[in-house]
Amino acid sequence: MDTLEKVIEIVATICSVDKSEVTENSMVGDFPAWDSVGHLSILSNVEEAFDISFEPEEMMEMEDVKDIVNAVNAKL
Amino acid sequence: MTVEEQIYQNSIQQPDRIALIAGDEKVTYAKLWERCLLAATNVKRKYGLKQGDRIILSASANIDFIYAYFGIHIAGGVCVPIDPDTNETRFDLIKKSTTPVCTMGLLHKVEETPTIPLNDVLTPCDNIEPYMQPDSEQLADVLFTTGTTGAPKGVALNHRNLAAAALNINTFIKNTAEDVELLALPVSHSFGLGRVRCVLSKGGTLVLLGTFASMKKFFGLMEQHHCTGFGMVPASWAYIKKMSGEHIGKFADQLRYIEIGSSFMPIPDKELLCRLLPNTRICMHYGLTEASRSAFMEFHSEHDQLNTAGKASPNVDVKIFDGEGKEMPLGGEGEVCVKGNHVTCSYWNETPERFAKDFFNGYFRTGDCGYLDADGYIHLKSRIKEMINVGGKKVSPMEVEDILNTIPGITDCACVAMPDPEGVMGELVKAFIVCDDTSLTDAAILEALKPKLEVYKLPAAIERIDAIPKTASGKVQRLKLK
Repeated sequence: MDTLEKVIEIVATICSVDKSEVTENSMVGDFPAWDSVGHLSILSNVEEAFDISFEPEEMMEMEDVKDIVNAVNAKL
Repeated sequence: MTVEEQIYQNSIQQPDRIALIAGDEKVTYAKLWERCLLAATNVKRKYGLKQGDRIILSASANIDFIYAYFGIHIAGGVCVPIDPDTNETRFDLIKKSTTPVCTMGLLHKVEETPTIPLNDVLTPCDNIEPYMQPDSEQLADVLFTTGTTGAPKGVALNHRNLAAAALNINTFIKNTAEDVELLALPVSHSFGLGRVRCVLSKGGTLVLLGTFASMKKFFGLMEQHHCTGFGMVPASWAYIKKMSGEHIGKFADQLRYIEIGSSFMPIPDKELLCRLLPNTRICMHYGLTEASRSAFMEFHSEHDQLNTAGKASPNVDVKIFDGEGKEMPLGGEGEVCVKGNHVTCSYWNETPERFAKDFFNGYFRTGDCGYLDADGYIHLKSRIKEMINVGGKKVSPMEVEDILNTIPGITDCACVAMPDPEGVMGELVKAFIVCDDTSLTDAAILEALKPKLEVYKLPAAIERIDAIPKTASGKVQRLKLK
């Protein structure tokens, strides 16, 4: 499973939506559950799934699926 | 003078000043007032709203929400602002209780009832009705809190309550018409909605964001509009810190004030804010929906009082009473009670006799336990009420327990607060269950809860025990589970 696919799966699970509704342009606020609580859950699940950790400055820049995927790929 | 009257005065005295900014849209006070009057006319004509009628408003930081909110007030109606994520059960209870003429705005979890889009209040119409200042004693809002019983409780606030609270807050924080506030708080809660009234009554500018979720957006807007202040709860600060480190310090020369909501905030967090923002008035309030911002404390000027809940706000009196309603001597521990024009005028659908029991000698009983020191500072000892505070959102343990108890296999349960191991959300819900079905998994329990509860109300941990500790009279002893 590539990074994008995995991130989409995490976002869909946390936001309780179907994977088909999540694209690389989906961003904070696009789904009711993607609020600050949801955003934290998404990022911590991503950290766990890829066994990486983000610095606050990196997290600040992450707004959408694409940002998250790029940040993950930069660490792999 | 009501908040609406103050906005009207602002529209005359500074018509071209920007009142609202939402995305690319900037709305002057003249335009804001014109749209509020249009909204008032529309809610009367289109939905037949009469004096005292209620409208349920899905409250999001949507610019049309602001017009609808003040328009309903000007039309003599009562706003019932609710969270757009309100679940079906809670919505049904609120609807049944308030019998609204209509429900406006998007509700994500309520499928049955069609709601009217908020922008419907801006439908062009002829002969806009002339403005009449709402009567101070007229009911303005009913805010449903998470009652200790699990059933939502409607806190009724009249125009006098709302205007008094705005005046007290603006006096303490020292807000001016020059302020530009970034609103990231939810407006469905007393705090966020209160910030809207504070800024607009003072003639300042409000930048609508409605969430702290995107720190990039938060800081982007702060920079773009040169914001001078914002409101947050301690959980927001934990989030800001986690997601952006000390970035907020870059705005030290720009931020004139921050208002912080009442819930536990660790002293190191307060100290960090002081260090990062040495010139900002950092004002933490203590209050509840029934008595908004009853006390305040400013981190720099009252630095030696950081462990207190502050002193009574301007125009507010605080006293401590024992369980019998006898005033406690200085330093004596008892229930914190407050008096002032900001205190709720009633609970919705409750008799005056029952409501009177919430007061001791004219002082509203907060349900919190503490004492006053010689300088008038309030020291809170414990919450008499048992709410769980998840990232600033209140969860009634009984609401979660009621649904858990409907799951086949669960014979009894009790929910309590557990500290968030990540230290970000403050507290999380922990469920203790008594189970007679060994095949019932945590995942199955959560699946059963999900359709009926907001995500933040879902238990973060589930523990199976043999029996729920209870008193002889059957009351759950939650303290024994912590």
